[in-house]
Amino acid sequence: MTTTVTSLVNQPYKYGFVTDIESDVIPRGLSEDVVRLISSKKNEPEFMLEFRLKAYRQWLKMAEPNWAEVGYPAIDYQNIIYYSAPKQKEKLNSLEEVDPTLLETFEKLGISLSEQKRLSNVAVDAIFDSVSVATTFREKLAKDGVIFCSISEAMREYPELVQKYLGSVVPVGDNYFAALNSAVFSDGSFVYIPKGTKCPMELSTYFRINNGDSGQFERTLIVAEAGSSVSYLEGCTAPMFDTNQLHAAVVELVALDDAEIKYSTVQNWYAGDKDGKGGIYNFVTKRGLCQGVNSKISWTQVETGSAITWKYPSCVLVGDNSVGEFYSVALTNNCQQADTGTKMVHIGKNTRSTIISKGISAGRSENSYRGLVKIGPKADGARNYSQCDSMLIGDNAGANTFPYIQVQNHTAKVEHEASTSKIGEDQLFFFAQRGVSSEDAISMMISGFCKDVFNQLPMEFAVEADRLLSLKLEGSVG
Amino acid sequence: MSLQVSSPSESALSTAAEKRAIYLANLLDVSKRSPTTSPWLKELRDHATVRVQEQTFPTTRDEEWRFTDLSALLQTPLVAVEQPVVSLSLEAIAPFILPEAKASQLVFVNGKYAPHLSCVTDLPEAIVIGNLSTLAGTDGERLRPYLAQQPGAEEVFTALNTTGLSDAALVLVPKGVAIDTPIHLLFIATASNTASNTALIQPRVLVVAETNSAATLIEDYGAIGSGTYFNNSVTEIWIAENAQVNHTRVQRDGHHAFHIGKTAVSQARTSRYTCNAMSMGAQLSRHHLEIYQTGEQTETTLNGLTLLHGDQIGDTHSAIALTHPHGTTRQLHKCIIDDRAHAIFNGKVFVPKAAQLTDAGQLNRNLLLSSKARVDTKPQLEIVADNVKCTHGATVGQLEADEVFYLQSRGIDVSDARQLLVYAFAFEVIDQIAIASLRRTLAELVQCRSMGLRKAKI
Repeated sequence: MTTTVTSLVNQPYKYGFVTDIESDVIPRGLSEDVVRLISSKKNEPEFMLEFRLKAYRQWLKMAEPNWAEVGYPAIDYQNIIYYSAPKQKEKLNSLEEVDPTLLETFEKLGISLSEQKRLSNVAVDAIFDSVSVATTFREKLAKDGVIFCSISEAMREYPELVQKYLGSVVPVGDNYFAALNSAVFSDGSFVYIPKGTKCPMELSTYFRINNGDSGQFERTLIVAEAGSSVSYLEGCTAPMFDTNQLHAAVVELVALDDAEIKYSTVQNWYAGDKDGKGGIYNFVTKRGLCQGVNSKISWTQVETGSAITWKYPSCVLVGDNSVGEFYSVALTNNCQQADTGTKMVHIGKNTRSTIISKGISAGRSENSYRGLVKIGPKADGARNYSQCDSMLIGDNAGANTFPYIQVQNHTAKVEHEASTSKIGEDQLFFFAQRGVSSEDAISMMISGFCKDVFNQLPMEFAVEADRLLSLKLEGSVG
Repeated sequence: MSLQVSSPSESALSTAAEKRAIYLANLLDVSKRSPTTSPWLKELRDHATVRVQEQTFPTTRDEEWRFTDLSALLQTPLVAVEQPVVSLSLEAIAPFILPEAKASQLVFVNGKYAPHLSCVTDLPEAIVIGNLSTLAGTDGERLRPYLAQQPGAEEVFTALNTTGLSDAALVLVPKGVAIDTPIHLLFIATASNTASNTALIQPRVLVVAETNSAATLIEDYGAIGSGTYFNNSVTEIWIAENAQVNHTRVQRDGHHAFHIGKTAVSQARTSRYTCNAMSMGAQLSRHHLEIYQTGEQTETTLNGLTLLHGDQIGDTHSAIALTHPHGTTRQLHKCIIDDRAHAIFNGKVFVPKAAQLTDAGQLNRNLLLSSKARVDTKPQLEIVADNVKCTHGATVGQLEADEVFYLQSRGIDVSDARQLLVYAFAFEVIDQIAIASLRRTLAELVQCRSMGLRKAKI
């Protein structure tokens, strides 16, 4: 296990290009005027402006959290561009009107927005910097009553739905970055699945940061009405810059009675170079509310990018018999830092949760699992099983686990286990004996290590994730 | 408008902070009143005083104290232990005496050495045992490199103990001496429930096991009378190369007592340390257990049992800092929580780059016996070395219905079945104790507790 793994990691980041496109950019800095400007640029209804201002005023009173196992220079919030949108014609009627440069960009990223080439059975909402540029398959989805559009459109077209659910899971003052997002978020996806509907195709949003000085603050809201189900996937990439960009997103999921939401993320933001220069600060708040009985929310994440990841997709299990799941693979290499995990808050009776977290740390990276399992006094018969495994590649990387377990109900059953291991010389030798090169052996062992999580991903993305991981790790053992 | 709204809460906050500052200042003042004549002790005390002054009284806003609410202590004004110390007869402490260690025991009453109760005739000549004030003159030089020198001494309650350091239990096992007889260090607090004052008692223990030596040690905190007192103890254990210490710590303080105890252990190359920590007394207790490795190939075994009922709060914070290769650690901590009691466990294991080939295992198991019982647990692993084997686990649950049913199907009634299972859960830890009589006492105690005989001896 020497030179091969090292060469594996040093694979260049292939999404690191910048698209040269004319953009509508507002001046740097954040103030109440900027919040008003963003709101007016987006032609938002009055309640949204109030929502933003309330969040902004809360944010001013809050302090940046410092409890995570990550270190970074102080962020100058006045030096960020809070709104950047590619200039385009007033209103788009069809994909043909989308700027061809943009289409090309997404083509290059492997996300085809044009009708003939797109992935069959996956509807995509493509978000470029601060705005959504296109959403595919909208009409087909509308036939089933499924709403899938950018959140800005949703605010204009379905204000009552947005008003009812926005901020209901992650309140404006929930935490520092959620408050910042609530004040300045520019776009994101909105999904509404009506009663008893099984969403006919996979929904997906692709996020792209292009401007080197702008932050991306997107907001996703998914509402699954009683008896419905949906599978949603997000992917993200950004160009390579020497500076760090802030990405502070908020994702809210609401599942009503018997509804099921499956949310998968393949996060591949630019991670910085091998000395830790540049990269995205990925400070994200994701939370799902299992409001109805028998509802289910499942988070699957493959975290491979970002200079710093600070992310805890959570489930609040309010409805009786509701189920929360969290499957995560977090890979850090070079100087990346990840402090990620989940929160499972059991409130209703017979609620169940499963946590499977796999951390792989290579290079000089820091990879922490931080999780909370909280069983409230009324959560009779609640059940949790957590497993977090870490794999260390090289002896300069760190793997930490911080599981918090708080139980206030004696009928609950909680189990947590964690282990740390490395790829053993004997294992590599075993493979070598059978004629498998060490590179292939490592890649096989890693995909075996992550199998529990990849199995949860939709088919196409599981293959993609597997490949992504081996690319990322190329050359990291040495 | 906003000013008017925010100002009362801010002032409430600041008065709470002030109250804590005043309380800590008072604690320091009370602590410093204990007499001393030795100049090097005075130097240690002054140094610790500065450390206390640099800090604030912990609150639940501090991560380390997040689940342990000290407000009950904060509402209890403390005074120094009355002088002269109440004299106790041997009969009075009879229930605490271990037959195996009858002639190898040191007894401290309210933190002060009680020579008429102590007896060390069973121990070999070579061993240095006694209390600091009498030994300081002859063996002072031998002890100076050890006393109050463990890492982690800056922690506020540890430093507070040092500020009042006037006497301590000392055990020095010289090179190559292995003692079979267990050494019993008994700390008795006498607090009648009629006393209006709550005393601050600060026991201190220093144990040094020199190269190739071996010793078995029982550190025992008990009470006569059911009054309130605050036991703030510190135990420092130094284990030299290839030495071995088997340490049993029993905390059976009175029901109204407060107990904050520290055990700091430094382990040199190929040394072995076993700790069996039993916490069952006090309304509010906390045990800091810190292991520092100073050489390679150390072996550490930590067994813990926390037994809580009523409104007790019982906290165990352990930290194992490995800094050398080939260390082995095994930790098992169990909590049995009944009534409205609240157990806290935090177990840290640090494995930096230097600690290659570490084999560390940690398991925390919690048994909740009632609907109001509560547990907050946080096993924590921080690993950088890659060639290591580290695992940790935590479970929370109640008695398995299947197991109770199995016993019922064999003609054992529900309450007996439950009691048997609780006993079995606890016995896995109790069984590790090397002293038969203590094992029996503790086993009985677990049985009394699980039968609901709340007035059983504590």
